[in-house]
Amino acid sequence: MKRNPLILAIGLLLVLIVCLLLFVFQVRKSEVVVVTTFGKPTRNVVEPGPHLKWPWPIESVHRFDQRVQNFEDKLTEGLTQDSFNLLSSVYVGWKITNATAFFPKFAGTSEPIAEAERVMDRMLSNAKIAVMGKHPLSDFLSPSGEGNKFTEIEGEILNVIQAQVRANNYGLEVVFLGIKKLGLPENVTASVFERMQSERKVLVEKSQTDGERDAQIIRSEADRNANELLAKADSEATQIRGKGEAEAAKSLKAFQENPELANFLFSLSALENSLKEKSTLIFDQHTPPFDLFGGASTNLLKK
Amino acid sequence: MPQQLSPPEPLLPPETPIDAGSQALSEALRSSFGIVKFVMVLLVIVFLGSGFFTVGPQEQAIIIRLGKPVGEREKALLGPGLHWSLPYPIDEYKRVPISAIQKVSSKVSWYATTPEQEQAGTETTSLPVGTPINLLADGYALTADQNIVHTRADLTYHISDPVGFIFNFVNASNAVQNALDNALLWAASGFKVDDLLTRDVAGFKETVKKRVVELVEKENLGIVVEECLVQSRAPRQLKEAFENVIKAEQTRGKVLNEARTYENQVLSKAAADAKSRINMAESDRARLVNDVSSQAERFKEVLPKFRENPRLFIQQRLTDILGRVLTNVQDKVFLTVGDQGNPKEFRMLINREPPKQRTEEAKP
Repeated sequence: MKRNPLILAIGLLLVLIVCLLLFVFQVRKSEVVVVTTFGKPTRNVVEPGPHLKWPWPIESVHRFDQRVQNFEDKLTEGLTQDSFNLLSSVYVGWKITNATAFFPKFAGTSEPIAEAERVMDRMLSNAKIAVMGKHPLSDFLSPSGEGNKFTEIEGEILNVIQAQVRANNYGLEVVFLGIKKLGLPENVTASVFERMQSERKVLVEKSQTDGERDAQIIRSEADRNANELLAKADSEATQIRGKGEAEAAKSLKAFQENPELANFLFSLSALENSLKEKSTLIFDQHTPPFDLFGGASTNLLKK
Repeated sequence: MPQQLSPPEPLLPPETPIDAGSQALSEALRSSFGIVKFVMVLLVIVFLGSGFFTVGPQEQAIIIRLGKPVGEREKALLGPGLHWSLPYPIDEYKRVPISAIQKVSSKVSWYATTPEQEQAGTETTSLPVGTPINLLADGYALTADQNIVHTRADLTYHISDPVGFIFNFVNASNAVQNALDNALLWAASGFKVDDLLTRDVAGFKETVKKRVVELVEKENLGIVVEECLVQSRAPRQLKEAFENVIKAEQTRGKVLNEARTYENQVLSKAAADAKSRINMAESDRARLVNDVSSQAERFKEVLPKFRENPRLFIQQRLTDILGRVLTNVQDKVFLTVGDQGNPKEFRMLINREPPKQRTEEAKP
């Protein structure tokens, strides 16, 4: 009797908790919930917070993560427009947007997310092959700004897959897509390596011949410049000498008074200079003053 | 109530001796009831206490009450320290490493290797040229000139929007990883192999980083990219071939440097020669001018003497010169006219003296 109110309160609380568990469910911000009535999806709850429902077995709650999921597809082979084989694998970010549409298509399996990804994997392979066939290899690989359409190709694949997902009403959305791997079939790579090796050889030879050629050019230009410099100096020197001669010519006027005497004096000094050292002179008796030996002095006496 | 309860009380004592067993039972019940009460109170305390949690120095936390984050955006974030939330299932909390630097590495375009191999330096660095490469085993990227290269990147970032990071992505760091993988492939597809590996390594790195930042923005990942380190390498099959190119480049540089040295030498020598030639000309000029002017001076002095007696003057000069010449001349030969009036024949052997002797002779 004494504990009746307390027990009553505890009892009420327990009943309340049981009722809450039966009639209320909460939706996290990261979740989307499908409420099924006798197994048939009837409501799609996106708003986070507590919500009401009829207790099991009338209504039951199925939760799905509505955040963006990452998925990578398998490496598949496709032909480009110009018949190159390309291996590619893409990653996608996708999320469940409409759980009532998603639920009946995938919830039958034990792992609806994995099942949805399997479906996407198939769609992605087809989308990749379709888009790849519309582009030549140069659209994938070429210097940026010179016809590189890598991003455009990713956009096209995304558009195709989004259209398919929408058409099939899977209740999911592919948010973004990017190429994760891009390569060549294994048997092609060996020949790519051979080509790369020969390109390297060409580069080696090119830098050798270029080096020699450039060095040759530098040397010959140096020689040419040096010669030009010397030629200039020579011409300047000639000019200087010419100026000297012109200046000297002014003094030459003095000789004009008696050119013959001037010539005579020049000859004399030239003679003296040329016979300064180690010379042998041969005279005959007519050469003055040796004519003295021949008696030339007698002329003077005769006078 | 107590007044109502008090009358039966005196009845209790006589009851006790009636049945000792039932009294013991009620004692036991009472004490066990006490224990149950104590345990229940303890449970409530533990239940409420389970709401306490700590947030580390580089973390922040969000309380999710009935599925909804408490507070809006920045206000929802709880800083480091002790916090309390209502117990599950009402509240949940999530810790986010917000100020800590996160790191992802992209190796999809790198050949298969393990960190241990890299540390020990035992990874295979060269392979025969003909070895094909399988994308499933060894990753690689294709370049703008359709070559194969290996490239990898380490990206550091921090979370700028923890609410978005938690509530928009199942695995946001995985999405960052994918963005980095894609950025490497994309950047490689726009770079020629030589630019990527040697000529424009910094440009390649910048392109990768820019692309990651773009993707992060586009995909709304709620992170801020800090640093992006990129490493690229030629295929192991072509290690030697690529090294040869570098060697050839170095040789080329050497050859060019030699040529430039030659150029410097030749040009400086030519400049010196040119200068000396000009100087020579200058001195020639000065000498000529001086010579001529001094001769002219002398001529002017001599002229009056000549005019006085030209014949005597000339004779005197001639003899004077001859005298001086003859003193200088080493050998003098005088030929007299022979008997028949013909000059006598004279033969001599002219032998060029060795220059050494000449200098010796010149001394005395």
